[in-house]
This record gives sequence, structure tokens and C-alpha cells, in this order.
Amino acid sequence: MMKIIAMDVMSTGVIAYYVLVAARNGLFTPIVGSAESGSYADPVPQAVILTAIVIGFSIQALMLVGVMKLARENPLLDSREIEISNTPS
Amino acid sequence: MLWVLCPFIAGFVIMLLPRSDRLLAVVAGLVSVGFGAQALRMRSPLIVQLLDSAGVTLQIDTLGGYFILTNAVVTLAVLFYCWQSDRTSFFYAQLLMLHGSLNAAFICTDFMSLYVSLEVTGIASFLLIAYPRSDRAIWVGLRYLLISNIAMLFYLIGTILVYQTHQSFQFAGLVDSPPEALALIFLGLLAKGGIFVSGLWLPLTHSESETPVSAMLSGAVVKASVLPLMRCGLIQDDIGMIVGLFGVGTALLGVTCAVFEKDTKRMLAFHTISQLGFVLAAPAVGGFYALSHGLVKSSLFLSAGTLPSRSFKELKQTPINFSLWLILAIASLSIAGFPGLIGFGAKVWTVKHLLPWQTWMMNIAAVGTAISFAKFLFLPRGPWQPLKPSFLAAQLLLLGGLVAGNGFYLKAYTLENLGKALITIAIGWLIYLGIIQRVTVKLPRAAEQFEHLIGAMSLMLVLLFWMALA
Repeated sequence: MMKIIAMDVMSTGVIAYYVLVAARNGLFTPIVGSAESGSYADPVPQAVILTAIVIGFSIQALMLVGVMKLARENPLLDSREIEISNTPS
Repeated sequence: MLWVLCPFIAGFVIMLLPRSDRLLAVVAGLVSVGFGAQALRMRSPLIVQLLDSAGVTLQIDTLGGYFILTNAVVTLAVLFYCWQSDRTSFFYAQLLMLHGSLNAAFICTDFMSLYVSLEVTGIASFLLIAYPRSDRAIWVGLRYLLISNIAMLFYLIGTILVYQTHQSFQFAGLVDSPPEALALIFLGLLAKGGIFVSGLWLPLTHSESETPVSAMLSGAVVKASVLPLMRCGLIQDDIGMIVGLFGVGTALLGVTCAVFEKDTKRMLAFHTISQLGFVLAAPAVGGFYALSHGLVKSSLFLSAGTLPSRSFKELKQTPINFSLWLILAIASLSIAGFPGLIGFGAKVWTVKHLLPWQTWMMNIAAVGTAISFAKFLFLPRGPWQPLKPSFLAAQLLLLGGLVAGNGFYLKAYTLENLGKALITIAIGWLIYLGIIQRVTVKLPRAAEQFEHLIGAMSLMLVLLFWMALA
């Protein structure tokens, strides 16, 4: 369980890094319009990381469902115990 | 371009029309076979640009064609195998999703589309592994998903570093990117593809899943991240060097573990690791080897699932069905490189493209292959008994592919090559009968624990970084 949360923290870090790279050259939202031009943020990394956010989220959901199933037999959800009881010798 | 979408469409339709699940799945598989065969006949790669300059580029070439064909044939064989079982349409839908995303991974040319298709394969394989819904299946699946997802997070960081240097996600951008980008991307692909130390998650996952799922995982899924590694290796010689080094290391590591393994399915899984090494060792011609390995390994996994026991020790006590033994024997001979089967041509072709320092190490690995498959060949045989028709159909397809695949490379049949192959196999059998059969060595499995796998991943990252700097 802790490991799943840890993985989520890692993926948040990656997403933040993508946003940071996108904002290197400017902070303005790149929208076509009549507003005054400035230094725009790069839209491509933001667009692609959106996919990664969705994928990360769905994997998270799948894992939590799996953990819910495992929790019936192992209420403490100690991954080491689960591993020992489910690994063939 | 419709053929890439075909498995996905069929998968969704299966959820709507659950009655016609197997039929739709077979149609989608046949479409891929047709396309793979067409891709193999193309002289120049076909490049498709979706949308405009910022869009996605797809590239269909002969190298990818071999992989698509492997994927299609393995999926069809798995479908035939499951034909008489009572699996729900959910299983077939996921199988098709997996098949479609693998095809997508084989034709994409940029890191971002590759990321998306690899993640879809990860999710679909997790659902297939966890299909029995037992505690063990769920744990094995969760372990797989966690490891592959963490590997892909590293990969994503590498991807943005490539984008930062080149303003594009193309594979070719790897050339002038900083070394950490190369290290991170390669770590992701190596861990996901089950190569070298970071691939030690693979034996447990492949051996503990159900028979058809392990055939699919071993035959096709691991190749999804091997092909991008090969494509990267072909861009530049320096990167090719790293890929070749990992190929040799993986082949030796996998075969050493396979020789001492006492469990049929685990032995096959370790052997998959070693064969991936062969595929990587010569990136230019690895496609043919991947085809031969995919056919053989799925055939062997399907047969191993029908054997009465998983332990070689118990199998030696009870004679097995002669027809089953015959199938096992043909597949084992092919993978050991026996003339007349596809494995022979694949080995000769790969060895021809190896660098001198790689050749003798790969010969050791080839002897190891012969040793580990002698375990199947020298099992006691019993009387002939009929097999289940679904099992037979799957095996006929795969073994037919083994014989027909010879046609790709007829030039291999020279006296020198024939002699070399036979000597390799003979040495392997002698070592097996003389030494391996008598000793019992139990290799420690500590490195396969979950936390050690994650630790090994970070160590690999450091190693890769220094290799990229050098």
C-alpha cells in the first residue's frame, strides 16, 4: 500500500518536471487571440504529460482494486508478508 | 492504417457482442498476419505521418514486420488453445487489446507514442495475469505493474530530456542528447523488456501466470521494448555498442540460470531472458531471431502447461504421452539450432552479424541452450495417446511456422554451418548427460524479491549512466 502511494509521489514529480520544462521560456498560456504577445510556455510537453497523467491515474485505480482484494486475506497489507506467502519455494 | 486499429475495434465489439468473442478475435489476428507478411515483402520502409509536423510518425519496415508476424501468430495460437476453455469474453477482449498495443509499439518511431503503447501493454498484461483472481495471481500481477510503471517513470524523465535538446520526441534525437537521457530511457526499456539484472522480475511473472498468458507474455509482450532498443542501437555505433554488450550479458546470465533450474516453466522463463540477449546482440538481424523465439517459446509454454507436473524430477519418474513428447522435442530441437527448423537459420544469421568479441560468448550461450533443452528431450516416453484438438491446432500452427520459417534464409545450409550446429548440440547433450543431470545446484532467489528488484534498477541506472558517459 505504502509502495503504491510512493509510486504516485514519483509520478507527481515527473509531471511537475514536465511542466517546469514547458515553462522554461515563459509563462503565458499559448492561445491564439488579440492579447499582447509575450514569452509563451511550450504547449507540447504539457499536452503529452496529460496522457501520462491519465495513464498513471488508471494504473493507480487498478492497483488499489487489486490491493482491496488482497486486503481480505492480509488485513495488514504488509508487502513482505504477502510476498512470502505468495512466492513458491 | 486501419489494420492497427482492427484489434482495438474488435476488442470493443467483443464487449458489446460477447457471443462472437472468439470469432472476432481470430479475424483480428488474421488481419495482423496478413499485414505482417506484407510488411516483410516491402523493399523500403513505409512512413506514415499523422496530422502535420507536430504529429505522430509511424514507420513500417521489415524489422518491425517480423515482430508483427510473431505477435499475430502467437495470439492466434493462444486463441486456438483457449477455444475449448470456459474463459469469458473479457479475457478475449483483453487479449486483443494487448495484441493491438503491441502492434502499435512495433511501428512507432517516437518516444512518446512508445510510452503510451508500452503502458497499455502493461495494463492489459496485468489484467490477463490477474484473470484467475486468486491471491497469488493478483500479487504477481501487482508486482509486475509496479515494476513496469516505475521503469516507465524513469523512461518519461529521459524522454523530456531528449525533447529539451531537440524539440522532438523522435528516436533519432537520442544521438546528441545528454548521457542521463540515454541512461534513463534505456533503464526503462531494459527493465520493461526483462533484460539483464533489471529483468529478474520476469521468471516469477511468466511462470506463475496461466499457461496461455505465459505463452503470450514470453512469446510477444517482452519483445515490445526490445524492438525500440534495437532501433536505438541502429542509429549510432556507440549506442549499438551498449545494446550489444547488454545482449551478450543477458544471454549468458539467462542461460546460466536456465541450466540449473529444476522447474519447467521457470526454466523456460529464464531461457526467454537469454534469448532476448541473442536478439539484442545483433540488432540489424534480430527480427528473424525474435520470430523464431516467439514461435518456439509459446509452443513450449503451451506444452509445459499440459505436462503432468512442473518439476523435472517428477517428470523423470512418469513416462509422458508420446505425441506430447514429439511436440516438445521438435520445439526444443528448433531452439537449440537443429538444421531443418527455423532456429538453425536464425542462429546462423545472427552469428554472422556478430562482432568478433561477441561470437565466442554467444557460442557458450548456444551450448547452454542445448544443455537446458536436453532436459525436455531426455524425458521418458510412454505410449501414444490422442491430444485435445484445441491444443493440437495451436501446436500445428506454431510448429508449421517453425518449418515454414526456414524459407526466409535458405542460404544458411552450408556444410560448415551444419557441422557447427550439430557439434554445438552434441557438446550440450554430452555435458547434460555427463554433469548437469547428476548435480543439484539451487541458485539463490534473493535477487527476485520485490525490494531488491527496485534496488537493482537504481544500480543499473548508475551503470548505464557511466556506460553512456564512456
